[in-house]
Amino acid sequence: MADILINVIIAFLAGSLLLGLHRKIMARVQKRPGPPIIQHLLHSLKFFFKETAFPKTASMPFYIGIVFILAVVWVVGVIVGPVTKGSLLILFGVYAVYKIVEHNSGSSSGSPYGKASCVRAVLSAATELPLFAAVVLVYLKTGSMNIGNIISYQASNGPLAFSIPLAAIMFFLLLLAKSPYSPFAITKDKTLVSGFETEHFGFLRGFIMFSESISWYVMLWVFLTIFFGPLGVVGYVVGMIVITFITGFINAVTPLLNPNHSVMSQITLGAACFVGTVIMILI
Amino acid sequence: MVNQKITCIILLIISTIALLACLVVNFQDWVVYLVAIIGIPLWVLSLGFLTMAKPRPEDVEERVKEPFTGY
Repeated sequence: MADILINVIIAFLAGSLLLGLHRKIMARVQKRPGPPIIQHLLHSLKFFFKETAFPKTASMPFYIGIVFILAVVWVVGVIVGPVTKGSLLILFGVYAVYKIVEHNSGSSSGSPYGKASCVRAVLSAATELPLFAAVVLVYLKTGSMNIGNIISYQASNGPLAFSIPLAAIMFFLLLLAKSPYSPFAITKDKTLVSGFETEHFGFLRGFIMFSESISWYVMLWVFLTIFFGPLGVVGYVVGMIVITFITGFINAVTPLLNPNHSVMSQITLGAACFVGTVIMILI
Repeated sequence: MVNQKITCIILLIISTIALLACLVVNFQDWVVYLVAIIGIPLWVLSLGFLTMAKPRPEDVEERVKEPFTGY
């Protein structure tokens, strides 16, 4: 249990700081000073003390339950990833449930913005295709879905990022899609205010930010582990900062795609990378 | 509102005891995972219900009346 608690706390703190860094990088690219790096963490904590009310139109208890489920999903992510180094399939399931949470968070709120975001959450499930393809390719290459075995494989054969780089790019697409202000973040388009989170304010927003910080950390950890593992603490820290920097830079200079373009771009890139990797493995 | 507060205090105590019990006692792995998966989010949720500020009585209706429909 100590291991799980420590990892959840590390995931929350590191994820919050990385998301703060992400905002800072985006701001500096756009020639703004930007908030301090610690701001995301402070916001998460601050919201727990803010005035909170539950709209009459909200579908209770689902409106609150879905925030709880989001936290459950990413605690499972921490346990399967950094703690036990378990199966990639469970992490794929975690991400699938996360999409369901996005969908139901929007629909339970009663807000028209939340509902529009809920519909887009269905479309944005396209991000799961590159993820699934990447997982399949990692299995084809290493013969295992177990993260521990994949680390061992890389220890003797070198990082997978060099042997199946297109699969790594596919996984990176997922990270890009999940990062704040992403060109693929159609569920949080500013025309939808805050998308599926619009009606979750006060401490519920703080709780969502808590879970999203953990999710960012877990996804970066999984990416670095299955494509660059085995890494030490310094390797993870440097890797996470570098990926956050790259996604921040891309998001700062790329406009949000419309839903059709977002889905088609991801599917096209995913398909091209999948075919390319299969050819590389066969050759 | 009073019922909500009491429920949250009970849930906070239960989740805290469950997490501490798993720290101290050597349970089977699946028990520890189950307690962590349910207990950690429950602990944060119940803590949030206790720490959140409530709207003033005269503002309550205004806060819950309409969904947010724009600036």
